[in-house]
Amino acid sequence: MAVAQIRNLTVRYGSFTALRDFTADIPEGAVGLLGPNGAGKTTLLKTMLGFVKPAGGSASVLGLDVQRDERRIRQVIGLMPEQDCHIPGMSAVQFVAYAGELAGMPSAQALRRAHEVLEYCGLGEARYRNVETYSTGMKQRIKLAQALVHGPKLLLLDEPTNGLDPAGREDMLELVRSVSHGKGVNVLISSHLLPDIERVCDYVIVVTTGQLRATGRIEDLKKLEGQPLDIELREECPGFGDRLIEEGFRVISAKALHWRVQAPGTPEELLPRVMRAAGAAGAQIRGFGLAERSLEEAFLAAVGPQGGPQFHV
Amino acid sequence: MSSPIADLSYRHYEGVLEPPRHRWWAIAKTTMRQAFRKKVMWVVSASSAWYYLGMVFVMFVLDQIAANRAPNAPDPMEAFLLRIVWKDQFLHGFGFGQILFLLGALILGAGTIANDTRANALLVYLSKPVTKRDYLLGKWFGVFLPLLAIMLIPSLAFFLFGLMSYREKGFVSQDPLLFLKLLLMFPLGAAFHASLVIGFSSMFNQGRLAGATYAALYFVTNFFTQAMVVVHVNLTMGRGETSEAAKAALPIVHSLYYASVDGLNIGMAKAILGTAGSPYFGIPSRMQMVPAPPLLPVLAIMVGLSALMLFIAWRRIRAVEVVG
Repeated sequence: MAVAQIRNLTVRYGSFTALRDFTADIPEGAVGLLGPNGAGKTTLLKTMLGFVKPAGGSASVLGLDVQRDERRIRQVIGLMPEQDCHIPGMSAVQFVAYAGELAGMPSAQALRRAHEVLEYCGLGEARYRNVETYSTGMKQRIKLAQALVHGPKLLLLDEPTNGLDPAGREDMLELVRSVSHGKGVNVLISSHLLPDIERVCDYVIVVTTGQLRATGRIEDLKKLEGQPLDIELREECPGFGDRLIEEGFRVISAKALHWRVQAPGTPEELLPRVMRAAGAAGAQIRGFGLAERSLEEAFLAAVGPQGGPQFHV
Repeated sequence: MSSPIADLSYRHYEGVLEPPRHRWWAIAKTTMRQAFRKKVMWVVSASSAWYYLGMVFVMFVLDQIAANRAPNAPDPMEAFLLRIVWKDQFLHGFGFGQILFLLGALILGAGTIANDTRANALLVYLSKPVTKRDYLLGKWFGVFLPLLAIMLIPSLAFFLFGLMSYREKGFVSQDPLLFLKLLLMFPLGAAFHASLVIGFSSMFNQGRLAGATYAALYFVTNFFTQAMVVVHVNLTMGRGETSEAAKAALPIVHSLYYASVDGLNIGMAKAILGTAGSPYFGIPSRMQMVPAPPLLPVLAIMVGLSALMLFIAWRRIRAVEVVG
């Protein structure tokens, strides 16, 4: 079931078109919204929240229309914005409890829940400190905590690892992965960082210049056409290639120990033929599997290498 | 030491949620709570009663003198009660309190939207099921209610004091509708200050700048008002007869006297109470008071300015900054 359905959505800021005829279904689970800076990712999130009125098309989130049911949508969504945001003059626990009250939780429940969520986000020790004294990593965590406090069904994370050092980034990704798997929370992560998306998400939507460029499961996008196989040998074996050809394989590439070959059939059907070729050539096989391209290659293929977007890896 | 919360795993919230119509009240409560955390707010609140405390002190002293006076000596308390007009004391309490109400408005309201803008807090508010209307209403009430309390509580306490102690000395008979008039006058004054300061707060992203701008407007226009008082005194207390030119100038001077935040509030109070005022603390004076303006034009200006400032705030409250 789709968490959000977007149909021919067009969003304009004055004469600038940020999203153009955008159509996509956002499935349940952890979904990455990938695109370079200025691609329209944040605009899509803000349209889903009802902050921006579309110039055309329609969108629904959890079955609610973004133009008619803004308030009900925000009841079931949590937003972690890209930029720093907090309520001035509040400690973390006051801030998160207040965010809960704004979502309709009674004061006592909001306070109890704030303590729980802050512990979960790793801010338990610092919860009585003023948010203005927090480090960048802590500010990212508190933004996640205020987005989670009311138990949203969909969490929108806008560049959640922005400004974080490598260790902080790892922690944040682990936290996002944890919340998005097996907790009943669907997550839509907007990012221009390929490894972040690959680490956390199962599904990806690629946006550039306000248009949908690719969409699908990450593992499907990484699959190569014709399902080639990667074979890794224990030692170099010059005769292995000839034996593979005798078994009906086409050798795509061979780099020392790494061979990429292709033949009709499933990997299960092809494995005995590879083993036969290896036996005949006297080669030892260390690894065997479906060949994959990197996510970056997949996206460059999706958006085109010429003048395509610059993703960060 | 282990965490006081034993289960640190994430759990979905399945508890009750209050209806959306209560959201503005959550914002108002927090705005008030934050303001009253500042000690200076308590000082301002306590100081706002100073005129009434002064009156109570004067009456206490006069009472003591009257009790210890020689037989057949005139009763100073009786003379004092004959000199004072009760409703004018509320006008003076309101008038002298203006500077404190300004301070209260600045403490409560100058940073209320400006600081939220600076900290991108609007994204937090508006990403929750809170509308712009809830936000503005919550912020407005968060300023208005404490300001009203600062203005009204000392006045109601003095009213109660007067009612219990001087009912037979004309406290009720001088103006039977006084209580209702107070209930109208003070909320209007608080609402005017609240609307202006909220409007200014929305124009800046630093509370201090918003506060300084509002204070500057208040003092510059108040200086003008005071200048009109000087002109009025010169025209009405000059030696001999008031000239024809002075008589012609007086209505203009009187209108200009009310052309300030302070002046509008005092004009509104005079119009509602139906009095031009009388000397402070019942001290005899030859000074003529500036007459009360007609209520409707004053109210129209106050409502118009308030609506303008709230409209500005409404336009400035946005979750998304669009950079062209």
